[in-house]
Amino acid sequence: MDKRLVPLLPLVTKPARYTNSEVNAQHKEWTEDRVTMALAFPDIYDVGMAHLGFKILYALINSRPDALAERVYAPWVDMQQLMIERGIPLTALESGRDVADFDLVGFTLQHELSYTNILKMLDLAGIPRRTQDRREGDPLVLAGGPCAFNVEPFADFFDFVVLGEGEEVIQEILDVVKAAKQSRTPRQETLRELARLKGVYVPSFYRPVYDSGRFQGLEPLYPDLPARIEKRVARDLGSLPFPEEFVVPYTEVIHDRVMVEILRGCTRGCRFCQAGMIYRPVRERDPEQLKEQVAKLVSSTGYDEISLSSLSSGDYTQIRSLVKDLIAAYRGCGVTVSLPSLRLDSFAVELADEIQKARKTGLTFAPEAGTQRLRDVINKNVTDQDLKEVVQAAFQAGWHRIKLYFMIGLPTETEADLDGIAELAHKVLAWGREFRTSRKRPEVTVSMASFVPKPHTPFQWRGQDSLETLRAKQEYLRERLRHPGIQFSFHEVEHSFLEAAFARGDRRLGAVLERAVDLGCQFDSWGDELRFDRWLQAFREAGLDPVDYAQRSLDPEEALPWDHLSPGVDKKFLVREWELAQQAIPTPDCRWDRCTLCGVCFNLQVANRLTEVGSGD
Amino acid sequence: MTSTIRFQFTKGQEVRFLSHLDLVRAMERAIRRAGLPMAYSEGFSPRPIMSYSFALPVGVMSEAEYADFRLVEDWDPAYFMEQFNKHLPPGLRVLHAERLPEGTPALMSEINAALWRIRLPQAEQVAVEKRWQELQAVDSFVVERQTKQGSRSVNLRPLLFGVPRIAREGEAVEVHCLAAVGNQGNLRVEELGLLLGFDSAQALITRIGQFKKVGSAYYPPLGNRGCTWTE
Repeated sequence: MDKRLVPLLPLVTKPARYTNSEVNAQHKEWTEDRVTMALAFPDIYDVGMAHLGFKILYALINSRPDALAERVYAPWVDMQQLMIERGIPLTALESGRDVADFDLVGFTLQHELSYTNILKMLDLAGIPRRTQDRREGDPLVLAGGPCAFNVEPFADFFDFVVLGEGEEVIQEILDVVKAAKQSRTPRQETLRELARLKGVYVPSFYRPVYDSGRFQGLEPLYPDLPARIEKRVARDLGSLPFPEEFVVPYTEVIHDRVMVEILRGCTRGCRFCQAGMIYRPVRERDPEQLKEQVAKLVSSTGYDEISLSSLSSGDYTQIRSLVKDLIAAYRGCGVTVSLPSLRLDSFAVELADEIQKARKTGLTFAPEAGTQRLRDVINKNVTDQDLKEVVQAAFQAGWHRIKLYFMIGLPTETEADLDGIAELAHKVLAWGREFRTSRKRPEVTVSMASFVPKPHTPFQWRGQDSLETLRAKQEYLRERLRHPGIQFSFHEVEHSFLEAAFARGDRRLGAVLERAVDLGCQFDSWGDELRFDRWLQAFREAGLDPVDYAQRSLDPEEALPWDHLSPGVDKKFLVREWELAQQAIPTPDCRWDRCTLCGVCFNLQVANRLTEVGSGD
Repeated sequence: MTSTIRFQFTKGQEVRFLSHLDLVRAMERAIRRAGLPMAYSEGFSPRPIMSYSFALPVGVMSEAEYADFRLVEDWDPAYFMEQFNKHLPPGLRVLHAERLPEGTPALMSEINAALWRIRLPQAEQVAVEKRWQELQAVDSFVVERQTKQGSRSVNLRPLLFGVPRIAREGEAVEVHCLAAVGNQGNLRVEELGLLLGFDSAQALITRIGQFKKVGSAYYPPLGNRGCTWTE
C-alpha cells in the first residue's frame, strides 16, 4: 500500500479497506519489461472485492511473467477528502504506486450509476479525463463489462473499450501494449494497433453524426475500421483459465466467499434483461472441473462458503448432483454451499432445501410481473400454477419468509397488473398460513424496481414511465400492500431515471457526466449519496434533456447510439421480440425448444454448450 | 481425543487496522487453510470452538494476544504452532503454544491487566512527565465515558497500575505502563491518552503483555505462569 496513507488510517472509517497485505495478494516487482495494469473498480473496496471478472483477470495477468496487475478501488468520501487535502494521488493497493504510473488502467462498467466514480477516480489519480488531453506517458484508459455495450456516454473518456469476454482478448492487448512499450510506439499508433483486435473499440476513431439534435450514426475515421464491433466470446469455458486463489479480504465485503462460474449466458430470453442478451450463448462448465476449482479455492482461501454463480444457476444441467457432491465433500469442515440466482420453480425449492437443510431463513423468487398476461409480455415463462406450487412447496418445506421481486412500469402495464402484484403478495401470505410447517409466522417481502430500458434488449425502444407516473404507481401499490405480514420496498425512481438516461445515452452525455462530477456527484448508487438536483443542473447546463433520453419511445427504424456495438444478437430479432411482446406471445428457450434465430450462434460461430447428464461420471 | 491449545500471538503492523471481528474471521480462514483439526460447535452453522483475550482496539498492535483453540485431536503444541504459522497472514504470528490442562479458567475470566508500550514524538515527553507528576498526587481523575446506554462518569486513576516508565528511545519517547483490562475495570486506550496527556490516535500503541494481577504481582496466562512483572 501507499505509505503516505498510513497517518490517515486512524482518521477514516474501515481503514482495512486501504491496507492491502491480504492473503494471496500478488506483489510483483516493477521491472522495465513488464506491462503494468491497474484493475480499477469504480466503487469502494467492500463492493469491488466481490467482482468475479476482476478476480479472473487479476490471476490471469499476474500469471504472465511479462505483466502484472494490481487493484484499485474508489476511496470513500472521508479518505478522498484527506487525500485531496494532503495532495496524495490515487494509488494501487499492492505496490502503493500512483495509478497514473501504470501502462493500462482498466475500469469495469457494471452499472450506469457508477459512472461518476470513474471520472472521480481519474481526477484523484491525476489522469486527464479526456482521451484528447492525455499525453505520451499517460496510461491507456480502457473499460469492459456489460455497460460497454453502450459506452457512448463515456466515448470521450476511454482510450479503448473491450466488448465481451475478457480472458482471451486481454492477452492480445497485453501483447500489443508490451510491444508498444518496448519500441516506444506513440499512443495514437498503439490505439490503431489495438483497434485491429477483434472486440476492441476505440471511440475516438469514430465520429458521431447528428441531425437536428437526433443521433444519426457513427462514421469511422479510417477506412480499415469495422463499422460494427463484435463482442469476444469463448466457445468452451473449459478452455479458459480460472483462478486457483482469490485475494482474501480482512474487512467485511459483500459476497465474501469462494465463487465458481458454473455456466455463462442465459437464453431464457426475458425481454427486459440485458444480461440475457449480451452473454449468449449458454456454455456450461464441466462438473469435474468445477469440483477441482472449488477444492483449490477452498484450500487456498479458507472460505466457509462456496457460491455457484451464473445468471440462472438452477438451469445448470447437472446442478443437483453438483450440489449434492459439494455438500457431501465439505459438510465436515463447516463449509456451506449457496446458489445466488435461482429461478422460480419447484426444482428450486428442492435444491434450496438441499442447501439450507435446517436453516430455513428466506427464499427469494422473481415473478417480475403481477399477472400472467404481463409475464407473457416480458417472456418470464412462469405460470400462476408454477408460482402457487413453488410457494406452497417452500412453506411446506419449512420456510416462513418469502421474498418477491417485481418490476413496475413495464411495457403494456395496466392497473390490473399492479393489482396483480398486491394480490400475489396477499396470496403468498395466505398460502403461508395454510401450508407452513415452521412455527414462525409467515412473512412476505416485496421488492419493486422500476423498469429501465436497456440497450440490446427487445424493450430498448420503450421509454421509461415519467417520474410522476412511477411515483403514482408506487403510491397505488403502497396502499394495497399495507399489511402486518407484508414488508415492501421500492427502488428510488430518481435512480432508475438516471440509469435509463445513461443506458440509452449518446456521446453528448459525456459533458453531463463531467459537469455532474464537478458539482460533487459520486457514489450515486449509494441511496443517500445521490444528488438529483445537481444531476438536473448538469443536464441543463449541457443543454440536454434527460427526459428525452430516458422516457422517449424510440422508432425501431431510427439509428441507436449502440448499433455499432454488437453482442451478436441481430436487431431484427429484437424487433420481432418487441412485436411478440406487445401481443403477449412468449418465446421459449432455445436450449429446450427450437432456435429463436437471435443470430448469436451464426454471427459469432458459437453454440449453446450443455454438459450431458452423467458426463461427469 | 480432544485437547485445548492456548497460544500467544502477535498482531503486527500489517494487520493493526483489523477490527476484532476481522481478526477472528482471518483466524477462521487460516484454520481452514492450515487444516487444523478444530472442534466445531453444534447447531446449524458450526463454528470452530475458540476464545480470545480482550479485543484489541483498531489501530493498536500487540505482541501478547492470547487464544484458546479446542481441537478434536491431541496435537503437539510445537507442531500446531508450525502448521498454523505457515497459513497465518502477515502480521499474525504464533509465538508460543501449550496444551491447556483441563479446568484452566478462561482467558476472559483470568486476565485483568495489560502492559502497554506507547511510542510518542519526542516533543511530548515533557507533557507526559508533567502529567504523571500531577497524577501521583491525586487518587481521582474523572472523565465522561460514552457507552451504548449513554454517558457516565468514570474515575480513571485507579485503572492505571504502578508507575509508568517514560524513556527516550531513539527519535521518540516510549511510555510503558500497566493498566486495567477486562470486566472488572477497563482502561481504554483513548482514556489512557486522556490520563497521560497524549493523543492516542497519533500514537503507536502496542500491547506487550496481558496478565492476571494479584496484588502487585503479574502472572501471564501462558508460559511458566510464574510472576513475571511487578509494579
